[in-house]
Order: sequence, then structure tokens, then C-alpha cells
Amino acid sequence: MGAAKLRNYIGGEWVEAQTVEYAEVIDPARGKLLARVPLSTSADVERAVKSAAEAFPDWRNTPPAARARYLFRLKELMEDRFDELAEIQTREHGKTIDESRGETRRGIEQVEVASAIPTLMQGCNLEDIAAAGIDEHCFFQPVGVFSHIAPFNFPFMAPLWFVPYAIAAGNTFVVKPSPRVPLSQTRVVELFEEIDLPPGVLNMVHGANEATNAILHHPDVAGVTFVGSTAVGRDIIYKSCGETGKRVIAQCGAKNFIVVLEDCDLEKSMAGLMTSFFGNTGQRCLAGANLVLVGSDSFRQRAVDAFIGAAAAIRVGDGMDGSVQMGPLQNAASKQRVIGYIETGIREGAQLALDGRKLRLSDPDLPQDCFLNPSVFVDVTPQMTIAREEIFGPVACILRAADLDQAIDMIHESPYGNSAAIYTSSGRAAQKFRHDVKCGNIGVNVGVPAPMAFFPFGGMKDSFFGSLHGQGKDAIRSFTDPKVVVERWF
Amino acid sequence: MELRTSSAVIGFAESLETGAARFYEAAAARIVDLAPFFRDLARENGKNVQSIKRAYYSVISDALETGFSFQNLLSEPYAIETVLPPEGDAAQILTIAIANETRMVSFYQQAAHCSQSFMADLSRVLKRIANNGEKRLSRLRERLETA
Repeated sequence: MGAAKLRNYIGGEWVEAQTVEYAEVIDPARGKLLARVPLSTSADVERAVKSAAEAFPDWRNTPPAARARYLFRLKELMEDRFDELAEIQTREHGKTIDESRGETRRGIEQVEVASAIPTLMQGCNLEDIAAAGIDEHCFFQPVGVFSHIAPFNFPFMAPLWFVPYAIAAGNTFVVKPSPRVPLSQTRVVELFEEIDLPPGVLNMVHGANEATNAILHHPDVAGVTFVGSTAVGRDIIYKSCGETGKRVIAQCGAKNFIVVLEDCDLEKSMAGLMTSFFGNTGQRCLAGANLVLVGSDSFRQRAVDAFIGAAAAIRVGDGMDGSVQMGPLQNAASKQRVIGYIETGIREGAQLALDGRKLRLSDPDLPQDCFLNPSVFVDVTPQMTIAREEIFGPVACILRAADLDQAIDMIHESPYGNSAAIYTSSGRAAQKFRHDVKCGNIGVNVGVPAPMAFFPFGGMKDSFFGSLHGQGKDAIRSFTDPKVVVERWF
Repeated sequence: MELRTSSAVIGFAESLETGAARFYEAAAARIVDLAPFFRDLARENGKNVQSIKRAYYSVISDALETGFSFQNLLSEPYAIETVLPPEGDAAQILTIAIANETRMVSFYQQAAHCSQSFMADLSRVLKRIANNGEKRLSRLRERLETA
């Protein structure tokens, strides 16, 4: 009791949600209640969308350079509050402070890139295109109200893949943070308020399913961006947007393969592999899930031993402790879900070579509800559940492939296509991998191939639903309509 | 303590630099003839902290190996003396300073080596501080010869 009740931000004001339902926001490392978040109703969404729609005409007529200057100020504030923002992420999510600082930096990068809107949004033209004296011009115009339905795994950064670009391009916005981790976005919105962004340009509605459905079916919402599971992204978000004629960016689930060839530098690769499989406690759409070893028996044994040795040595604890390398799962239900997968793996015949259920925490007094140590399965086959489904936790599955072709076939048998990585010293193998693998993000000796803000970010196959991706120029195209003018003067 | 994460390494580097600065400020207060020399060294310690933090905060990414790159890097061998010996003279203070700087150079060399594969910018700054540390050592040894 006594924890702050969060409020929505609508029309430039902090307002109470029209609900009596609140969810608890819990620090997963310490088990402490951080806040209560409202599960807003469709009436709250209606109010937010109305506010955004009303703000749109003035905002779209604000010069792009002036819109960019708001983002310059936002960036400055974010730099000033860098550590505060990072600590909020660690407290509400559980990730380590290094990971939160990394997330903060990557979020700020989005603001930096979107600040270039006067350049990014430029159209094109050509004189005398059809005949002498007939010219064509193409302008990119803002569309209206967009919305983002945010995931829990990157509470600060994920909304920033979209919000800065959309509003820089002249649109207005309604963001719905994950009710599990609403504090980071609340702080971001406070910073937007501090830069004096005109009322209604950015609105925030906390909530869960009812708020999401209201956004999806609101006729004045032109487009929805979403980051989350494939089940929700494909069957609810993408489908609803199709039915209601909204544009959509739905970044969804993954089951990422990391292929390690015998010619790789195993020692130098290990830090990248640990980051990929166990960074963010495995709760990342670019996380390594299946480690495919290609090479001789002796290499495989050496690689397995090195991987398990490194995973076993990972220091697990409260992410606020700078010496900790892996924090807790975000909540107790996530931990139980991951344990369920571990039990399934054992039942289906995989060998659990490292059992993360046996806790070895840096501080034994920490509550154990959300913690798991890293787990590693060996003798995994592609047909097993743990090799096919997204576990979203610190569990690595080690598989074998006879050669690179077979490893690539394994990747292609997965319905997902978010990312894949290869560790090798062979340029030819890396080139083939890069060329052939059907994934949106490819790593070559990089375990988490996360595109920087200047590049598009999205997957393929069941990992992405929509057309254009988030970030960079793709985001600008997503949030604008091209308008072509054919011009002749008599 | 084993320093495994970027946070731990940056935090330890900051503690070394602030500890060394404290030592030099105290030395400047006691050895008046060498006060400008010691204060200059303390000022450089402050700049080093700024450089390290700037590099770290500018390039840190959750996608890179910030939490896993440092291996077998222990803090104990690099611990420095931050308090002046009671009634120590210039020669004694300079001798301790040389021992401190030697440990710090060694720490920065090792940390730069560990971080070169995942954070080139940070590695470069750590290397630069190590190189500057060698020059500081030369300056301290020169002073010790004439003390």
C-alpha cells in the first residue's frame, strides 16, 4: 500500500484513468511494490485519441525544423538524466545496470536520428518528366494519429523506435506502455512535458487488453506499431489493423539460431555468445536460442565445455549491483513459464547439462520468485519443443549440424526469421550465410545483431507483420504518405 | 573482487582516479615545494574520470558484450595507497606515488586489452590513460631523483 498510482497523460495533462482496476508494478529483484498502474478503459483511449486528433492540424503545420528542435531539447534532457533513466529500467524490469545504460543509449539514438527530420522527410522531383514543361514533385506528408503498444522487455527503448519519428514527421501519438513496466515511459513522457511539446501531440494511456482493443478499433487511429509475441502480433494486431484499414508495424516473436563453425575464434566469441543467450536474461527478440555447432567431435566437445563453463560462471543477482551479469526474469510467471520449458526439454530427451533452476545468486538474501541461473541443454534435436518454441528466458539449446548447409536448413525450418548469427573466420562461409539465411537481422561474429537507429529494424516470416520496418528512413516512410504533384503552367 | 562488467570496471577506475587525486592533493598540502606538481597530477586524475565516463556512456549498447568481456581481471592487485604516511617526506611520498601509478598503468593496460573486442572507443581511452600513466611515472621518478 502507499505506492504511487500512475496517471495517464492526455492533452498535455496528467489525468486519472476512468477505471477502478489497477495492476501492481513490482521490482523483480527485490520483490518491492514500485507503483500501481491503471488498466485504462476504452473511454480513456477515446479521450487520448481525440486529443491527438485535435492536435494534429497545428502540429503538422509546424515547420519540420521547429519539430526537430523539440527533439534536440528532449535529447539534452535524456543525456542529463541518463543514469536516472537507466536505474528506472533496472528497477522495474530487472536487467543489469549496464544493460539499462545500453538501452538508454540506444533509445537516445532514436531521438538523435529523428532530429534529422528536415533531411529524412525530403521528397523528390524531376523537371520535364512527361513532356517539356511538365514537372513532377513528390512530398511526404504526415498521416494523423499513430499508436504504439509496447512490450515489457525494453521499457525505455522500444517506444522510441517509433514515437520520435512519428511526431517529427508531423503526426500525433498515443503510446500504451506495458503494464508490467510502465515507469520508464512515464518518465519519458514527463521529459516530453518538460520540453513543452504542444498538448495532445504525445499522449500516454496505461493499460492492458481493453486499451489495446480500443486503440486497434478506433477509427481515428491511422496506424499501430506493436512489439510482442507472434500470437498477439499476427492474430490480433495485424488482423485487426487489416480489418480496420490501419497501417501496421508488428515486430513479433523469434527463435534465433547462432551457428558456430570450427574455424571460429572460440575464446574471443564467448563473450558475444553469453551476451546473446543470457543478456537481458534471454528476454530479447534478438537473443540467441539455438546454438548450432558445426565441426569435428573434438571441436564440439570443446565448444560445449567452454559454453557451459562460461554460462555457469555468470554472476546472477540484483541488476543494480554493477558486478552482476544477469538479472531476474521480469516476473514470477515468466520464471514459471521458463521452468515449464526446462521440464519439457527433459521429458523430450534433451540432456540438461547446466540446470539454472538450482539458484546461485550473488546475494543469497534476494527473494527467489523471479530468478533463474542460466540453463544449457545438449543433445537437442530440431524437432524438440525447446528447439522450436520461443522460451524467452536464459535457456540455451545446443544442436549439431553436419555442415553449414544443414545448419541453414535448420534455420529455414523455423517459422521465425528475426535474426541469426554465424561465428567463423571464413569470409566465404559468412558471405554464404548472409546471402542465404532468411532473417531480417544477420550477425557475423556478433551475437545480438541489433540494427542501430539509422537502419531499419524488423524480422521476416512469423517474426514480422507489416510492410515497412521501424527506425531510420523506414520509420519515416511508415509515418508519412507520399503525395505526387504533376505540374504544368500555361 | 573480480571485475566482470563494464560498470564494475568503470567504477573501479573511478575509485582509483579519485583515490589518487586525494593522495596528490594531500601531498600538495604537505610538500609545499612540489605542490604545483602534485596538483597537476590530481587535475589529470579528474580528467581521466571524465574521459572514461564519456567513452563508456557514448558507446555503451545492451547489444554488445558489456557484461561479459572482462575475464580474470581482479581489483586486488591494482589497489593503491590513498592516504599519506604520517610525517612522510617528499621521497617517501614520491615512492608511494610511483608504486600507485605503476599499478594503475598495469590496470589500464589489462582493462584496455579486455575491452578491445567489444568497445574499441573505451579500449582506446583506457590505453591512452595507460600511456599517459607511463609519462607520469617518468615525471615522478625525475622528482624522486632530485628529492
